[in-house]
Formats: sequence, C-alpha cells, structure tokens
Amino acid sequence: MTDPDHDIEQALASLRPRAPGPAVTARLAAELDSSSPRRGVIIAWSAGLSALAAALVAAFVFLGGVAEPEAPTYRLVQVEQTRPDVQFFRPVQMEDGSFARPMRVRWQDTTRWEDARSNTRLINYRPNDQLTLLPLETN
Amino acid sequence: MHDAHSGQDWRAWFAEHGARLRLIARQWARSEADADDVLQEAFVRFWKHQRHLPGNPNALVVTSIRRSALDLLRRSDRRAVREKIVGDDMETVTWFEPEADPRLAALADSLKLLPAEQREVVVLKVWGELTFDEIGEQLSISPNTAASRWRYAMEALRKHITARTHD
Repeated sequence: MTDPDHDIEQALASLRPRAPGPAVTARLAAELDSSSPRRGVIIAWSAGLSALAAALVAAFVFLGGVAEPEAPTYRLVQVEQTRPDVQFFRPVQMEDGSFARPMRVRWQDTTRWEDARSNTRLINYRPNDQLTLLPLETN
Repeated sequence: MHDAHSGQDWRAWFAEHGARLRLIARQWARSEADADDVLQEAFVRFWKHQRHLPGNPNALVVTSIRRSALDLLRRSDRRAVREKIVGDDMETVTWFEPEADPRLAALADSLKLLPAEQREVVVLKVWGELTFDEIGEQLSISPNTAASRWRYAMEALRKHITARTHD
C-alpha cells in the first residue's frame, strides 16, 4: 500500500530551514565554555578511591609479609570494576517544590590478591549501590 | 554519574542539527529573535542538565525547546500587557532558505498558513524527527490525535500548493 502523503512529506523534508545566526552560535559557545562539567565524576572518584584503597591494602600486606616471613605474601593480581548499571525513575517533588529524577547506579568492585607460595587467595568483593537525584527544571 | 554521551562533541552536534531545531523553536516563537533566544536557552538547559542521559538526545532537546518557548510566551504575554506589543512577524519572515522550485516555495509558504495545532505536528514529525507517540507526549495529546492532525495538514498542504501552482 502506498502512502498518499509520502510525496508531500518528502517535499517538506527537502526544504532547508534557516540556520541559527552566528550570534546564537557565538552565545552558545560562550555558555558551553563558561559551564564546567561537574557531573560524571562520582564513578571516576569511586574508582580512583577503590584503586587507592586496594593499593594501600596490598602495600600493607606486602610490607607485613616482609616483617613476618612466615605469613603469606599477598600480591595484588586484579582490580576490577564492573560497568555501572544505571536506572532512572519517575521524577519526584522535593520539599522546596522543585522536581528531581532519582537515578540509581549499581556496580561491583572486586580486588584479588594471591600468595604464590601458599597458593592462597584473598578476594574483596564489594557491591555498590548509589541513589542520586538529578535536579529537573520545570516550568 | 555515568555520562552516556561522554565522547559527544556537542558543538558539532548543534552545528549539524541547529537549523532544524531552530525551525522547531521558530514555529513556537513570535519572532526570529525570540526563536534564537528560545533555541539558545533550550540547548544550554539540555546541555547542563540532560546531556548525560542515555538514549537519543533529540527528543530531550525538542522537549527543552518547547519548555523554553512556553516560558518565553508567558513572559512575553506579561510584557505585552505593559507595553502593548502587537508585533508578530509570522507573515513577513521566511522560515526556510529560498527555493528555486515554485512548488517547494509554495509549500514553504503554505506551512505557515496551517492551523498552529497542525503545523506543530508537521514540524515535530518532519524536522523534529519524532514519532506520533513522541509527538503525543510532547503535546499532551494521543498518538491518534497527532496522526489525525498530520493527515489534515497533509490534505491542506496539498490543496494549498495545488492552488498556488495553478495561479
């Protein structure tokens, strides 16, 4: 079956809307430059902190092993962070009347150490679950 | 927070889509200057608060444009009461680049003659690249109503350009 409106739709699509003026583009560029991106750093921070904590634990364990030759000497072999699972929920109204959209981010950190001599493993598995509110602008 | 579009060059994205987004802003604005203001405000609002969200950013930008346009109309209404502004350059300014093909030129002119409720469906579908479901969400109407307005608009445009090209 053919669509009788198809030719009109195609003709409409071939019209060329006027582009935004250079003033708009310039003002927009200035706005984008002046606003520093602050979001998207939570996970990067947590990943950095996790790695730092793992390194400190590994260093502690390693140094402890030097002082106590009988104790296992664990070596850090793996630090893994899963891809975050992001869920968005329906917007909610805050006490001050503004609206926000709850966002849930879940991921797992796994840090693994091994002692080759005793063939023992130390695994730290930590599930993370963060609920964040994204402010919404309403009119 | 995870940024679903962390690698996106938003200036390049705007450069690619700016013209059709401006048309969407224009059909909800009273003047060319208002359309520019609406587009700028809407895109900055999207960029600050929503660019991290997953999915196609197009629908979010269109929603932002509609909000900004409604905001501006409300502000303009209040200002108009004070200043008796009657300006509306809908009839005098072209929304499109000039067309050599008379049929296309007639079509461009005819679009502005449509009732606003039909015109916004046409603009959102063709240049907003939205489905009838998405248009229904934008305009708080059912998808069937959106589709019905589209059919009426196509019929009206067909009549307009037929009449114009036979003049």
